[in-house]
Amino acid sequence: MSWSAFWLSLQVTTIATLCIVLIGLPLALVLARRTFPGQIVVETMLMLPLVLPPSVVGYYLLLALGSGSPLVEWFQIRLLFSWPAAVIAAVVVGLPLMFQSSRAALSNVDPQLEQAARTLGLSEWRILWRITLPLARRGIIAGVILGSARALGEFGATLMVTGNIPGRTQTLPVAIYDAVQAQRYADAHLMVLVMTGIAFAGLWLVRRLEQRPKSQTMIVHEDLYGIHVER
Amino acid sequence: MASTLSVDIQRRLESFTLRVQFTIGAEILVLFGPSGAGKTQTLQAIAGLMKPDAGRITLDETVFFQRYPGQPQINLPPQRRRIGYVFQQYALFPHMTALDNVALPMGRGREARRRAYELLDQMKLVHLAQRMPHELSGGQQQRVAIARALAAQPNVLLFDESFSALDHAVRTQLHADLRALQAERGLIVVYVTHNLDDAFAVGQRIAILQEGKIAQIGALAEVCRFPATLRVAQMLGLSNIIKGRVVAVELDRLWLEWEGYRIEAVCPSPPPAPGSWVTAFIRPEEIRLVYPDRPLTRFAGHNLLAARIIEQRPGRRLNHLWVAVGAMTIEIAHPYTAYIGMDISAGQDVQIGFRPESVVIIPDHSPQSVPVYSQVSHHL
Repeated sequence: MSWSAFWLSLQVTTIATLCIVLIGLPLALVLARRTFPGQIVVETMLMLPLVLPPSVVGYYLLLALGSGSPLVEWFQIRLLFSWPAAVIAAVVVGLPLMFQSSRAALSNVDPQLEQAARTLGLSEWRILWRITLPLARRGIIAGVILGSARALGEFGATLMVTGNIPGRTQTLPVAIYDAVQAQRYADAHLMVLVMTGIAFAGLWLVRRLEQRPKSQTMIVHEDLYGIHVER
Repeated sequence: MASTLSVDIQRRLESFTLRVQFTIGAEILVLFGPSGAGKTQTLQAIAGLMKPDAGRITLDETVFFQRYPGQPQINLPPQRRRIGYVFQQYALFPHMTALDNVALPMGRGREARRRAYELLDQMKLVHLAQRMPHELSGGQQQRVAIARALAAQPNVLLFDESFSALDHAVRTQLHADLRALQAERGLIVVYVTHNLDDAFAVGQRIAILQEGKIAQIGALAEVCRFPATLRVAQMLGLSNIIKGRVVAVELDRLWLEWEGYRIEAVCPSPPPAPGSWVTAFIRPEEIRLVYPDRPLTRFAGHNLLAARIIEQRPGRRLNHLWVAVGAMTIEIAHPYTAYIGMDISAGQDVQIGFRPESVVIIPDHSPQSVPVYSQVSHHL
C-alpha cells in the first residue's frame, strides 16, 4: 500500500472539502433565494461536471491551468503537475453534489419562517445562522459528505492535470491504477478496501441523515391549557 | 400611551390595485373581506414584508414607509418596525422548543429566558415550555406564536387569519384572551379575517375590504345596522334584500311599493326622491308572524303582509322560516319557543309584520346596481 498516496489523498480531500463548502454554500443560498435572468444557465453549468466524461473535465482544466492561460501568463501561477491541481480537480467534480443537495434543502425552508423572524427583529445574519441553516442542515451535511467522497474518488481529471508523480502528486485512486498496471495486486487489494470502506461509511452517514428522526404518531387532543398525548 | 397607526398605501396587484387608507388607535380593527381582497397585502405592507408602490405608513412620529413624488423615500426594514405578526400557520421555528421560540427575539442569556417564561405563563403555557412545536396542539402553537410576537415588545399586533384553522371552542377562548391582552397593554391590533363570526368576536371597528378598496369602515354595530352599499350588505350576509319604488315621503317616514304592498320605512337622509328605486333590507329576526286570534298591538297599521310558508328549518341559535310574499322569498328567524301554538308547516297561509324601523334603506352608491336581489339563499 502506498502510504504517501493515502496521506496525499487525505490532504487533497480535506482542502477540497473546505473549498466545496465555502463556494457551494453561498452559491446554493443565492440560487435558492433569488431569481435572476440566466439563472438556469448558471445552474446547468454548475452541474455539468457531474455528467461530463472525466477526460473532458481534465481537458478543460489543462486549458485553464496550462501555459497560455491567464493564470500562468498574468499571475505566473503554475499549478499544473503539482498537488494543488488535484485539489482543483476534486473541487470541480465535488461541487455539483454539494450544491445540489444544499440548494434543495435551503429551498425547502419555509420563507414564512424567515419573514416571521424579520418581524421579531432578528438581523438577516442571525436569521441565517439561527433559522435558515439549522433547518437545512441535513441536506447541507449530506452535500458535504457526498461532495468530499466524490473529491476523494476523483481519478480521470486528476490523472490528466497532476502527471501521476509517485510520492508527489499521486493520489490513492491513481495509485490503485498504477498498482494494477504493475501487477502489484496485494497493494491494489488493500487500497481498494480502504477506498470502499471510506465510501461505504460516507454513504451510510448520508442515508442516516436523510431518514428524518422517527416521528412518533401522536394524537394530540385539543385541550387549551393541558395536553393529553397518546402515543 | 395613546398611539396612532396611520396607513395610506397603493400597490398594483395582479387583478386590481390595492388602495387603502385608515387610521387606528389602541383598539382592535377587523379587516374583513373575501379572500383575495388585499387583506394580507395590507398587513404585509404595515409589517414591512411587502413594499407598496406609493403612500405613507406612520406610527405616531415614526415613519415606516413613505413614497410620494418629490419627497424623500423611506422604507424601514421589518426589523426596525417592532410589529408583532401572527401568521395563520403559526410559523413557529420547528427546531426550537416553545421556550426558545419565545426567547429568541430577546437574545441570549438568563434574562431573556426569564422573560420568555413570564410570557408563556401569561399565555398559560408554562408547563409546555420544553415541548417542540410539533408536540403542541394547534391552539397551543398559536398561543406560543402570540407570546413570541409579544417578546419583541411591539406596539402593533397583526393577526393574519390567525385562528381560522382552529376549532370553535379554542377560537372563542383565544378571542377572549386577545381582547384582554389588547386592553391590558393598550395595543394597536389589526385582525384580518374572512369569517364574520370572528369579526364579531374580537372587533371594535371593522373595515370592509373589497377588491383592494375599503368599502366601509366604522363601528361594528354601525356597519351592520347601516351598510354603506349593497355589496357590503351582501358581504355581511344580510338577507331579505328588497328593491322597491318610493311612492311617498313624509317627514321622517317613507313608503315603498314592493310586491303590491306599501311598506312603511324610516326615511334616511338625504331622502330619496319619490318615484325612485331604492334597495332595502329587513333583518329576519325582526319579522314576526301575526297570530290570527290575537289583537294587533305594535304592528297595528304598519307593514302587514300575507305570506305562505315554504320551509322551516332549525338553525344554530334561532329557527328559520322561509315564506313567499308574492313572487319573493322572505326569511324569518325566531326563537325556538315562539309560535308553538301555531301551525307553521309548509303551505300554511300566515300574516307577517315588521316595524318601519326594521326596514333599512341602503344608500345606492354602487354603480353596478343590478335589479336581482330578492333571491334569498336557503343555506345559512
